[in-house]
Amino acid sequence: MIETALKAFLILIYATFVGFMFMGIIRIVTARIHRRVGPPIYQPILDTIKLLSKKSNITHGLIYDFGVIYALGATILALMFIPLGSMGILRAYGDLILITFLLEIPMLGIMFAAMSSGNPYAGIGAQRALLTLLAIQVPLGFAIVALAEFYGTFSTYEIVMAQQTMGWSIIHLPLLLAAIAYDIVLQAMFGKEPFDIMIAPGEISLGPMVEFGGKHMGILQIQHAIALFGETLFFSNIFLGGAAITIFGSSILNTIATLVVLLIKQTAVLMVATFIGAIFPRFTIDQAAKFYWKWPTIIAALGAILASL
Amino acid sequence: MVDWRLYEPLINFARKRSMWIVSFCTGCGGIEMPPLMTSRYDLERFGMMPNPAPRMADLFLITGYVTPKTLKRIIITYEMQPDPKYVLAHGSCPLNGGIYWDAYNAIKHLDKYIPVDVAIAGCMPRPEAVMDGIKKMMELIETGKADGWKRYKENYEYYKKNQDELFGEGWRENRKKMDSMVNE
Repeated sequence: MIETALKAFLILIYATFVGFMFMGIIRIVTARIHRRVGPPIYQPILDTIKLLSKKSNITHGLIYDFGVIYALGATILALMFIPLGSMGILRAYGDLILITFLLEIPMLGIMFAAMSSGNPYAGIGAQRALLTLLAIQVPLGFAIVALAEFYGTFSTYEIVMAQQTMGWSIIHLPLLLAAIAYDIVLQAMFGKEPFDIMIAPGEISLGPMVEFGGKHMGILQIQHAIALFGETLFFSNIFLGGAAITIFGSSILNTIATLVVLLIKQTAVLMVATFIGAIFPRFTIDQAAKFYWKWPTIIAALGAILASL
Repeated sequence: MVDWRLYEPLINFARKRSMWIVSFCTGCGGIEMPPLMTSRYDLERFGMMPNPAPRMADLFLITGYVTPKTLKRIIITYEMQPDPKYVLAHGSCPLNGGIYWDAYNAIKHLDKYIPVDVAIAGCMPRPEAVMDGIKKMMELIETGKADGWKRYKENYEYYKKNQDELFGEGWRENRKKMDSMVNE
């Protein structure tokens, strides 16, 4: 029991740290694409320390406080379900659907908080976030169905283990199509351009985030770091083969090698999202919904049909 | 309880290196902000980000002249920001009126209404001068001398008296009333 708790704590620390590094990497890479120097890689950590050390804090009531904690809690729960190599704190049959669901829940928590603040920009942002959430459900569902149909299981751990013998998911045509659709969906889940409609700085001044300041925003930064880690980890687990290295004699060396392999795959997923985000402008909300219900849906549905044949 | 004074150097370092900007770009200084933020001078090296929301802002840039109409908004925005907050006045207009020294409709001394931590002289200051001002601001934050937000609380009577003299008593309440009338 204590061992499991300790393991969960270590995974949480690792995920938070790597997530912050990912946020730093995104900012540096975007800066280099703009031909700028860019901030140091530990900049998001400094931002979070500053936000948590603000001397005054504004709250708009119980739901406002609760929504932020709810978002953080849902993200941590999702992280506990995603297998990190052969490690996983919680494991249940059907966790493929559960993780997909849990990775979207934080947005709902942020929306609770944003709506309760009564700021009109936050209201508009929350509506846009809801519409984006609605738009990504269709391709996301088809991609998950294709995956489950191909491997005949809803367990993420079994999918990772099956890939160790059958090769990565993306070398099979149906799952390659599903992976492409899922990657386009991931762009909206990261909140990167061209699907950053819900935050849209300069247009609706950060949307749902507009009222958060001080410690609320600090907690949301931590949540964002963990969510970034979790989303990339989930993608590399189900499509890029995950990692379960057993060639070394000692289990510690195996764990470290697994983490390094996963880190490389996660960084690759992150880079694709950053490059796409740096070169595209923003969609409007109706364009985004139309896009999601057309191209990724067709691709993912084709993948699902091919997988079931 | 944890003694937070122990972590004060780390916190001050974080505050210094992560100033999020709300810029009030009504005056001509607004045109100096794009080269500062983008590839030419790249302020993001120092962790500074333009930020549209006053609730998570640290540094408030007043870029240019201030009229009574915009001063109301400046005061409201300043009071929305969480402590600690810093103000950087930009150009000679907020200092002494600049070329509007005899205009009936420009504020001559901004620091009678809100505390200004660093003021940059010039008409207009070039981006290098603004960066120099920001460097000065960083030094003040690190040594704990950028205490405008403390002064505003301690001398609130003085600032409120000056604001009321300019706008008349109860201007906040009147403004809220007018805002709600417009919304309805």
